Amino acid sequence: MKENRLPVFSVLDVEKRFLLRKGRNGPVELRALDGVRLDIEEGSSVALVGESGSGKSTLVRLLLGLDRPSDGRVLYDGGDLQQVLSRDRARFAREVAFVYQDARGSMNPRFTIGDIVGEPIRVHRLHPVQHIPQRVSELLERVGLPPSVAVRYPHQLSGGQVRRVAVARALAQQPRVIMADEAVAGLDVSVQASLLNLLRELVAELRVTLVFVTHDLGVASYLCDRIAVMYLGRILETGPVDAILQGPAHPYTRGLLDSFPRFDRPLRAPLRGEIPSPVDLPAGCRFAGRCPCVQPRCTSSDPVAQPLPGGRLVACFHPLSGQSGPT
Amino acid sequence: MDTLADTTLLSLDALSLARGRADVLDNVTFTLGRGQTVGLIGESGAGKSTIALAIIGLLRAPQVALRGSIRFDGVELTTLPESEYRRLRGNRIGLIFQDATAALNPCFTVGAHLAEPLSRHLGLQARERRQRSIELLESVGIGEAALRLDAFPHELSGGMQQRVMIAMALACDPQLLIADEPTSALDVTIQAQIMELILERVRARAASAIFVLHDLALAAQVCDRVVVLYAGQVVEEAPAAELFADPRHPYTRALRACSIELGERDALVPIPGAVPGLEDLPGGCRFAPRCERASARCAQTPPLVTDGTRRIACWHA
Ligand SMILES: Nc1ncnc2c1ncn2[C@@H]1O[C@H](COP(=O)(O)OP(=O)(O)OP(=O)(O)O)[C@@H](O)[C@H]1O
Ligand SMILES: Nc1ncnc2c1ncn2[C@@H]1O[C@H](COP(=O)(O)OP(=O)(O)OP(=O)(O)O)[C@@H](O)[C@H]1O
Ligand SMILES: [Mg+2]
Ligand SMILES: [Mg+2]
Repeated sequence: MKENRLPVFSVLDVEKRFLLRKGRNGPVELRALDGVRLDIEEGSSVALVGESGSGKSTLVRLLLGLDRPSDGRVLYDGGDLQQVLSRDRARFAREVAFVYQDARGSMNPRFTIGDIVGEPIRVHRLHPVQHIPQRVSELLERVGLPPSVAVRYPHQLSGGQVRRVAVARALAQQPRVIMADEAVAGLDVSVQASLLNLLRELVAELRVTLVFVTHDLGVASYLCDRIAVMYLGRILETGPVDAILQGPAHPYTRGLLDSFPRFDRPLRAPLRGEIPSPVDLPAGCRFAGRCPCVQPRCTSSDPVAQPLPGGRLVACFHPLSGQSGPT
Repeated sequence: MDTLADTTLLSLDALSLARGRADVLDNVTFTLGRGQTVGLIGESGAGKSTIALAIIGLLRAPQVALRGSIRFDGVELTTLPESEYRRLRGNRIGLIFQDATAALNPCFTVGAHLAEPLSRHLGLQARERRQRSIELLESVGIGEAALRLDAFPHELSGGMQQRVMIAMALACDPQLLIADEPTSALDVTIQAQIMELILERVRARAASAIFVLHDLALAAQVCDRVVVLYAGQVVEEAPAAELFADPRHPYTRALRACSIELGERDALVPIPGAVPGLEDLPGGCRFAPRCERASARCAQTPPLVTDGTRRIACWHA
């Protein structure tokens, strides 16, 4: 039955170009996103992973309507996002919540925690004003904070507590979709673990759709059921987390997985070099320059995403088959 | 004890350090053999960076109150005059920090950064310095090294800046390398390359290294021994493989239980409560208030007991 439903978001061949001033022969164009396709199904949790500069945050900004694609379209419930926004921006803002990495920076330091968590309730008129304090208490409790923090200010809370407040604020607007960009990065393991557990519970309990940007494949696999691997502005592989972990189809995905520190394996650095600049994208496959399995064809034509069994897609002429692991 | 002196490069003995009323380090003891790598792990505030700074003499009296001993290659460092310390730092002891942007001066080129230790410690002249700088950059995987000498730090990616810092740290062939979270700000792909590089350089010189790490699996991969710190104290120390295969201190176990492994779906178990503030540390075992095995006995401070290749401070282990 799920298959018949429209995805919450559909990203259709989206490009995002930025004009950079520098360059000897006039302005130079940077392609932050270059032909991105992605469906985000209702109730799914999708991790966007990939090295720094691969375009994860840019994609999230487009999904949130904070920026427009230079080309291609973002659909929300099957309708063009720009039209949805011009018709009813308030409703979209209520349905789609965002959790920032810099949780503290996203809060007005002169507001109490109670004001901060209560604000979306007020703005979206979700409860009568006199019920707001009660609702704020419930939300704080739900994210594992004592209701007494409502009278405190952001600077009086620890890093982990502030992140919880940010989650409570997102829940306050009763969202249908939560997007988070590196929301658990830079926390101590124990604090990170409890925040991840909270997010996992909430996703299961509220059936909210989650789009989670993370550098950390461990976090992605713990929290999400689907994964989209980005590289230089393109999604190279997407599919269910377990299938991808067990048998990555794209050599880049395997490189990322094999670089991840593990107790049961010696250190390996299967991928050499760094992600190149998105200013001069190479002619063929964008990963060819670092790919351990590169073939002549890869440097001349750009592979489009091909379906694989099990709801997977891979943009590679020579997808890997079988298990990940030392080769 | 001559044999001990021969195989031991660095030893901390009952090192305690206080900043004002805060007891940041308490009785920290461990040794590092020649050619060995040791990891320091523990939650934020455990004192890992403080240990690194104390060893390189950047935290000294009267700025802090220091007790105990730090011996490096037979020399007591806690009483070493600053002039002699300056001859060690960047020379026989190399340093790598987490934040290359903060460690590199934005006004100086890569070449100037590398030239500094080469002229100060090795007395090389301009031509030799340039030659050696190019070799150093090449040895840390920076291509077009001659061109890069003229680059400024901001013109390099984070990974490249980290490589420059490694080249600086290795410039004078240090016997000891101290790397405080050298890759925490980098992608896993770059982290793997950088850690591989550091290990290869350290091993090629039969040097020793101290790694401050927050990723336990990475510690398992790159360290011979691991020291687990909690609130300024050593709670457990063991060969890395043994420690993670069979963590014995409840804190080490708890850390292991809340670290994600790739593909892990079983619920992580966070450690209840929070790290105590250093001004109001609990008496007895400092971990007891958060420990699932705590009992009346834990009101007494557990001694650090040696058991085979392991040392552990817990009444219940
Ligand atoms: N406003 C902008 N102007 C110019 N370039 C930009 C802009 N925003 C992003 N970029 C560039 O677009 C590319 C993708 O950036 P983006 O922030 O989306 O990457 P990311 O995957 O989120 O990286 P990170 O993991 O470091 O957060 C990068 O090369 C970045 O420098
Ligand atoms: N300048 C300072 N003055 C007073 N206390 C300090 C100062 N710098 C650090 N501390 C305290 O010393 C303790 C140990 O800090 P340290 O930086 O060594 O921890 P760490 O284990 O390196 O933590 P992290 O994982 O966050 O880097 C902390 O409680 C910290 O608050
Ligand atoms: Mg980003
Ligand atoms: Mg530190």
